[in-house]
Amino acid sequence: MAFNYEEMSWSDVRDQFRKWREENERHSEDVIQLWVALLEDRLHKTGNERHLILEQVIIAALDTARFDIATKCTKQLSAEFPGSLRVLKFKAMRLEAMEQYDEAEKILDAIIAKDETNAAPRKRKIAILKARGRRVDAIKELNEYLKKFMSDQEAWHELCNLYLSEGEYGKAAFCMEEVLLHSPHSHLIHQRLADIRYTMGGLEHIETARTYYSQAIKLNPHNLRALYGLYLCCSFVANSRAAVSKRKEAQKLAQWALEQVAALTASNSPIKNNDKLIASLDAAFGNLEIKAN
Amino acid sequence: MCDYKISERAYTKLIFHAAKYPHLAVNGVLLGEKSPKGSTVVIVDAIPLFHQCLHVTPMAEIALMQIDAYAEQSGLIVSGYYAAAENFYDNQIERAPAVKIADKIQENNKDACFALIDNRLMSLDHERAALLVYNCSGEPGRWSKANYTLSQSTQTLEAVSSLLKRGAMRDVIDFDNHLDNPENDWTNEFLNKDLKQLLAMY
Repeated sequence: MAFNYEEMSWSDVRDQFRKWREENERHSEDVIQLWVALLEDRLHKTGNERHLILEQVIIAALDTARFDIATKCTKQLSAEFPGSLRVLKFKAMRLEAMEQYDEAEKILDAIIAKDETNAAPRKRKIAILKARGRRVDAIKELNEYLKKFMSDQEAWHELCNLYLSEGEYGKAAFCMEEVLLHSPHSHLIHQRLADIRYTMGGLEHIETARTYYSQAIKLNPHNLRALYGLYLCCSFVANSRAAVSKRKEAQKLAQWALEQVAALTASNSPIKNNDKLIASLDAAFGNLEIKAN
Repeated sequence: MCDYKISERAYTKLIFHAAKYPHLAVNGVLLGEKSPKGSTVVIVDAIPLFHQCLHVTPMAEIALMQIDAYAEQSGLIVSGYYAAAENFYDNQIERAPAVKIADKIQENNKDACFALIDNRLMSLDHERAALLVYNCSGEPGRWSKANYTLSQSTQTLEAVSSLLKRGAMRDVIDFDNHLDNPENDWTNEFLNKDLKQLLAMY
């Protein structure tokens, strides 16, 4: 997304920043560009929101290696809140961004010593392990963290990703189930859980995956991944050694899923011969179908 | 033994893909000419696959089957895999994400290559091609360094650098984008056309 700075006023930028904060999107490059172009000199106009904006800009600056901006904003915050642990965390993050991990850890440990219930510095420490490429240690620490802060969904999600990158699918599925308990109506989480179960393979897991994909489609009929996933699961069952009635039913459902996919993409997709590409899926699986029992 | 020639289009697209998601691991598939001339495999195009989660297989299966059909239509063949690791320092093939896909491609096409994006060489001033290319010329299933050339290398690197500075990498679309919204075209037809014109100017 490119912004036309000349047509934007500082209040547009403020609203845009607010939207990104609410939706948890980083857009670091845009944040920095807009900050420098429009908001930096007018920060006092934003009232009490300025603290949140400063924090947002600091993180964006560290993301894009603009240490000058990060330092300037951190100073502004610490002038207003001397001795604040929250501001101290940004100092640690600056060191972290400059790969001075030992110094960063010292500050984080100091924060934890002062305030044991503070989750943020503990998570930063795990992030440092990850940045150092020590995934197994990060998993261990994150497990320790989750014993204390059990309801942290973000952390469960991260642990799931770490387990996936280590190929521990069973444990990753467990983490995703924890996330699902917190937000049972999220189609994305149902779908990810199904993705993991399908990857694990075997009739039992794939049937579980089929259930989760179905639920994801129920929650959001436009979830293309879930439709494709359902198709794959059903094709697998249709070609398995399951009972004939089960296989027939699965085959029907597979056809239905593929029709849904075709309908969804046909009206929107600019890809030439898209229908043929989707039909190729059918050719790959379809030919295998219904072996004699 | 074979070596590889990577086209401007393929190189630009895979670098754009990595630059669009600098904080994530990305991967994709390389398409090459069907019948290699002599011992040089020409990589014509790159299809960006995923950036969200590289470790689960269902969407990879769907994508690879569609790409296979797409390659067939365009008279090309799947002849490689590319990936960039999430961690800046993971520039070894052992730490690359989803190597299994590359192994599978290699089973089907013995001359397939594995192009690993070298994070250290990714910059706004491209002086060298930021790629490490491997193939299985020795034992099957064992990746070892292979030789490659970048087509029109000086001009390509110059073009890629200036396009990155302008933020052009945002225009590349991967299969994840397509799954999020079917209006996104994973074959990148528009970008391909634009690139053809742009690269001709350098």
